[in-house]
Amino acid sequence: MKLSTVAFRNIRRNKRRSILSGSAIAIAVMSMVMLFALEEGMMDDFMRNVKSFVTGSIRIRNARYSQNERLNPLHLRIKNYRQVMDICSQNENVAAISPKISFYTAIYRGGNNYRGIGIGVDFARAEKFQHFSKSLKEGRIPKEGSREILIAEGLAGEMKVGVGDKITLLSKSMYMGMTGMTFKVSGIVRFNVASFNKNFIFIPLTTVQRFLKMGDSVTEMQLLVKDEGKLDETVDELKTALKETPGLEVKSWKNIGTWYFLKRYADVAYQFIGLIFFILASTVIMNTTMMVVFERRREIGTIGAMGMTGSEIVLLFFLEAFFISLIASAAGALVGVALVLPFVKTGFDFSSMLQGISWEISEVIYPELKPGTVIMVFFYAVAVSSFASLIPSWRSSRVEPAEALRSV
Amino acid sequence: MKKILILATLLAFLSGGILPLFSEALSGREILRRMQRNEIYGSMRSEGSWIIRDRFGTREKTFKVYSLGTEKTLIVFTNPEEEGQKILRVGNEIYLYFPDAEEVIRIEGSAMRDSVLGSDFSYEDMTGQKDLLDSYDAILEGEDTIEGKSCYKLRLKAKRPDVVYPMEELWVDKKNYALRRAYYYALSGRKIKELDIGEVRMIKGRAVPVHFVMRDLLKKNSQTEFIISKIEIDVPVDEKLFSLEELSW
Repeated sequence: MKLSTVAFRNIRRNKRRSILSGSAIAIAVMSMVMLFALEEGMMDDFMRNVKSFVTGSIRIRNARYSQNERLNPLHLRIKNYRQVMDICSQNENVAAISPKISFYTAIYRGGNNYRGIGIGVDFARAEKFQHFSKSLKEGRIPKEGSREILIAEGLAGEMKVGVGDKITLLSKSMYMGMTGMTFKVSGIVRFNVASFNKNFIFIPLTTVQRFLKMGDSVTEMQLLVKDEGKLDETVDELKTALKETPGLEVKSWKNIGTWYFLKRYADVAYQFIGLIFFILASTVIMNTTMMVVFERRREIGTIGAMGMTGSEIVLLFFLEAFFISLIASAAGALVGVALVLPFVKTGFDFSSMLQGISWEISEVIYPELKPGTVIMVFFYAVAVSSFASLIPSWRSSRVEPAEALRSV
Repeated sequence: MKKILILATLLAFLSGGILPLFSEALSGREILRRMQRNEIYGSMRSEGSWIIRDRFGTREKTFKVYSLGTEKTLIVFTNPEEEGQKILRVGNEIYLYFPDAEEVIRIEGSAMRDSVLGSDFSYEDMTGQKDLLDSYDAILEGEDTIEGKSCYKLRLKAKRPDVVYPMEELWVDKKNYALRRAYYYALSGRKIKELDIGEVRMIKGRAVPVHFVMRDLLKKNSQTEFIISKIEIDVPVDEKLFSLEELSW
């Protein structure tokens, strides 16, 4: 009789034991599928937010600006940004370019001061990055060249301003002097990211150039690429193309700040949590297999006396564990997918948890079910669970038939 | 002729004999009072410039200053980058006017200590301190020589908490009671600013500093040179200049 047939028969014969082992594996797999779907959704959301609002896929700056960024040195700018934009747009992988000016500002209203982060953008170009038309809750996008302002909902609420109200911004000009200008609120935007809602204001680029006395220049340019896989290659191509414009710094978002490091750290952390789940499930398998070995000593002695070798006995127990983990992993993966699927569209609302956290994470996270991840979790579970049975199986192979037959 | 000789002898005796004895006995408070007499005017009009040097290079700002007593000061910037901007101080209140802003901004709290136009002067420095005699106890610590000038060295300790600097060290010229050097300290005892007076001009019997350098030691490699190119003391200054209504005109 084939060993696999014997193994199947043993699984059926010890239903309670098989269900106990199988359910431990299934719960681990289900949890892993859900956890990874949430983690992937969260990380994709994080990367999307960083690229849309902070860095772009590629960021171009005056290199000295980055070195002195803490001081907001607006004079370390890109003077010939239109020419730089023309050069960048010739690259086949560049999908969109948004020139911008970021600055810290104190907002003065009715004798009170509020902190804000001002961003001067060309609204038509920035639409592909910040999706203002989707985020607009009230009013309209400011007209280019006007003294109009788009304000994040949280900040507007804090200052108690609405569409049509006027606020005065104070900031440091390019000449390091103080500058002030009054703006009319043309619209209120609500972003999915709590920290962006708290302090962002958007103003037409040409108006900010006038406000900060920057002439026709910007502090940085953000680029989106068509193919993220060719990101590093595109960065190199742009560096070469911009060789004639010295002093510029071209960086992919992966090399800016700690965002990419955080993403990779989170990936590793989640995989580690997954490993812990499997180790816990594996201890259940090892326990039940060991129990089986002790329960079935007479049977082991009998099959040993009938001529089954030690390695065949190990294989028999391994196959039992393998079949249980195969069935349980498939069931766990299916249940996990079924539980996550409804949330792929509705998402998980973390808004109350994210209050006061300045991470670029959206308030509503949409889990992502990637077939590759589900398959990886499945095979990982089968492998870990099956191999976890090897230790007790090896012990069973060392039982002497005569000794085993004497035992109860 | 005899009377003139007696008078001359008396004057020589007083100036060479008794007055130095009095000056030896001057208290820190008296030296401070005489120094302040140089610095406090009934009214004043001046024009000047700042040359700000820091890690990013050199920038020049020009301005006109109007003041009435110790309570009212108006600074109007005239350099192209900040043309039309104004800083008004009336008593303890400081207001900013920007040509592109529809409202006048009142500066308060910690913002008073912010740098003006990226210089080494804060709003509080620029618009003048309150009467030093009212705010500080002055202790004469000894004598010192600054740039070849014999000076009194004073240590000022704040009497009340609402002063700009809790402690100051001043070097006052023994000859004309002009300030020659000042160190400003935080409550922790850390030196935060240094002021060095270069040129002092005698105007209407007062020794007026017209060229000095301020260094904010909390900034790296930064200093602001303050040059007064034109100054008139005790001349008519329209009080209307110091009203909020006038500020935006």
